[in-house]
Amino acid sequence: MKKFARAFALTMTCALALPASAQDKPVAGAVKEGSLKGKTLTFVSYGGIYQDGQVAALKDFVEKSGVTLLNDGPTETAKIKAQVDSGNVTWDVVDTSDLPPYVHCGTLFQKLDFSKLDISKIPEGQVGECSVPAMNYGVVLMYKNDTYKDNPPKNWIDFFDTEKFPGTRAIDGSGDPTGGLIEQAFKAAGGDPKAMTPDDIEKGIQKLRDLGPDTIYWKTGAESQQLAESGEADMIMMWTGRAMAASKNGAAYTPVWQDWLVVMDQLTIPVGVKDPDAAHALINAYLGAEAQAIMTETTSYTPINSDAKPKVDDATAAFLTSTPERNAQGYQQNIAFWVKNFDLAAEKWNALLSGN
Amino acid sequence: MTATHDDGTTARARGEGPGTPGFLSRLMPRGAVWLAAPAVLVLVAVLAYPLAIVVWRSVSDPALGVDNYVWFFRSAVNRTVLLRTFTVSAWVTLACLVCAYPYAYAMTIVGRNLRLVLILCVLVPFWLSGVVRTLAWVILLQDSGVINSILRGIGLPPVKLIRTLPGVVIGMTQVLLPFMILPIYAVMKGIDNRLLQAARSLGAKPWKAFLQIYVPLSLPGVYAGAIIVFILSLGFYITPALLGGPRSILLSSLVQNQVLSLLNWGRGGAMGVVLLVATFLLLAIAAPLMRQKHSAARREA
Amino acid sequence: MPSFPRILLGLFCLLVAILLLAPTLVVIPMSFNENKSLAFPPVGFSWQWYENFFSNPDWTTSFVNSLIVATIVAVLATVLGTLAAFGVTRAAARTGGLLRALLITPMVVPGVVLAIGIYAVYLDAHLVGTVTGFVLAHTMLAIPFVLIAVQASLEVFDRRLETAAASLGAGRLTVFRTVTLPLILPGLLSGALFAFITSFDEVIVALFITSPYLKTLPVQIYASITRDADPTVAAVGTLLFLATSLIIIAGLLIGMRRGRT
Repeated sequence: MKKFARAFALTMTCALALPASAQDKPVAGAVKEGSLKGKTLTFVSYGGIYQDGQVAALKDFVEKSGVTLLNDGPTETAKIKAQVDSGNVTWDVVDTSDLPPYVHCGTLFQKLDFSKLDISKIPEGQVGECSVPAMNYGVVLMYKNDTYKDNPPKNWIDFFDTEKFPGTRAIDGSGDPTGGLIEQAFKAAGGDPKAMTPDDIEKGIQKLRDLGPDTIYWKTGAESQQLAESGEADMIMMWTGRAMAASKNGAAYTPVWQDWLVVMDQLTIPVGVKDPDAAHALINAYLGAEAQAIMTETTSYTPINSDAKPKVDDATAAFLTSTPERNAQGYQQNIAFWVKNFDLAAEKWNALLSGN
Repeated sequence: MTATHDDGTTARARGEGPGTPGFLSRLMPRGAVWLAAPAVLVLVAVLAYPLAIVVWRSVSDPALGVDNYVWFFRSAVNRTVLLRTFTVSAWVTLACLVCAYPYAYAMTIVGRNLRLVLILCVLVPFWLSGVVRTLAWVILLQDSGVINSILRGIGLPPVKLIRTLPGVVIGMTQVLLPFMILPIYAVMKGIDNRLLQAARSLGAKPWKAFLQIYVPLSLPGVYAGAIIVFILSLGFYITPALLGGPRSILLSSLVQNQVLSLLNWGRGGAMGVVLLVATFLLLAIAAPLMRQKHSAARREA
Repeated sequence: MPSFPRILLGLFCLLVAILLLAPTLVVIPMSFNENKSLAFPPVGFSWQWYENFFSNPDWTTSFVNSLIVATIVAVLATVLGTLAAFGVTRAAARTGGLLRALLITPMVVPGVVLAIGIYAVYLDAHLVGTVTGFVLAHTMLAIPFVLIAVQASLEVFDRRLETAAASLGAGRLTVFRTVTLPLILPGLLSGALFAFITSFDEVIVALFITSPYLKTLPVQIYASITRDADPTVAAVGTLLFLATSLIIIAGLLIGMRRGRT
């Protein structure tokens, strides 16, 4: 009897201690049963295959916590600003491109409470004050097989060479400027991206303008995919996941991996959300190994939890950016430079998009 | 549903009758006008007030003055887009007119059952969601779309349609066509076909009789249809946004972009005011033609 | 035998009829696509996009939202529009004409201009993404349709009937219920239907005042076209096409029967 009592006491202690320790130190992917019952969270991302994959990754979180998850998008920094300025913040967790969380930290995006997040499995150097990575992926150049046959473009320099490689270009015009592309354009114009100054931004943009009036600036990932599937452009700048989806649907295009642009989408919480705790809980669940594996299996995007063990098919594997070979070919933009010169770059970029 | 369109025109064609306001006001004490107060209230709250805000922001954001308008007319891109918006509207109106006039005429001369079929063909697209019809055009016009598949099938080179101005005009014409057919039909229905017979029996050639007698009588409907289509084209948003590319962008998309993507309420507002003023100017110019509609209908009734 | 111009006219009208109706039909084969793509031609055969429409909460809630908003709008706009129609018809000619012109302005104001104005007001009033906000904006847009429909039936209706009923001792309410209402009922009903469809299909203002908490079906369709390239939109388009056609055919048949009796 005494033995039983001791075992019982021990069990009780363990049972009590476990949730307590869980409360002290969050574990990525862990969700408290029924903890968010009756609450609603809005998750915002870029739609299509990517958001589908993210929602699939969050399914476990939704089921366990009892939260109602709404989806919206695509992400636009201007919309977040409108919401924050007017005090109508309806976006709780927002997936953004690399730069905005660094540029608008504390003003549009709140400083994250890292006592509620387990960031121990995130690759080194990817956590910001206002954001954690959502995934790693790339921007590739996809060229149309029919157009270039034996003499395909090999890198971004060829992308900007309209004499040797005639044809329509399609570029990511979905919102904020892509620093890596402007650096490549500047390189094609004869500059050295490593020594770029603010004045050089215009030179890079001018190179883009020189591509001519036929250039398509796609507004959404879906549009880029549509362009590839219908064969409308000869070279398309595409997100790797969308490139994969287009290929699976039969788009006759080939990716160019040399200098693919490394991108890290970010997860953020706007300033003024109704329930920051719930938003943090969502992010913490998203960072779990299991969730990240599911995200990768559906999207081909690289997980940001080093314990994640995704099982992918061949078609997906072809677009993974996490292999050693791809790591060697990737091109990393100068993040510090673009964060510092974000407003200038955005202004020039918007002028380009509106045709000025 | 057709009954309504029919009623509308027959009522108008009747002109002065026992049911007209003039007659009623003598019977009814004044004050009836207050029945419209709740509707007017809604109108003030969600139409007049918002438009006033747009006008106000266009001259006050970021600073008081006409800077936004100066910017609008100085920028070559804006002028191009403004001109393009008017050109596209004109083309769409013309294309609609060419398709609608013979069709509306046919509706008045065919038998009852065939007329029902023709009306059905107008009303289904008239009431079907514009987004859905535009989606259909995206599928049709894209480079691997239906039209290009057919062209390739018969050995012709594919044509670029989506993200081009002709593509936008084609899509808008189809979406707006019912707005041209219905008013023309409404007027033509009231024209007495015996007039043509009479002219012919007096020795006029059928073509001449048609052009000199029938066409002038149908003009009020043409004016009404043309002005409706032109005004709707000026402010069209969904169809050009989905079918057009950066080189075929219209004014509405620029307004949307300024406000939603760039948060520039002042500039977006100024563009909106330009669009609004253009619309009301056109209406003012067209008003005398519309009035002619009543007198013509009355003359004939 | 029909003359040559008649044959030409017939052929031309056939072409216009095809232009009016046929393009939309393309959504039907696309809705059975096996691939998650809108590229033509569709591959294989599958019901999955219809299943998705009826099971995916994004689609079902936006559909239900549209039904709710459109129903309230139909009721509200019919009441306000009918009252306004009485006001316009029975006011002095000049006032009535002015009032009518004023109440019809929503039909000619460019959608985007109206949308940014309403968006600005709603941001301040915290009406973005609320049923109230949608209902207000859509009611304003729907009132002209009700006004026109009801006014048309009021104008052909002989007020002497009301006077006669009143002189025979009927109370105002009785006159309205037994004489006026039955006479204007067809106009009222078609006005209500116009109002419902106006709200159900409205997209431009909706795109600005939407929020994750309240999306209507057209907003969801637009978002899906621009974001997802997902054939579910084709399935929705097919369903809407069928529903619209059925309603119109029913309307034409009823109208025909009414015309006969």
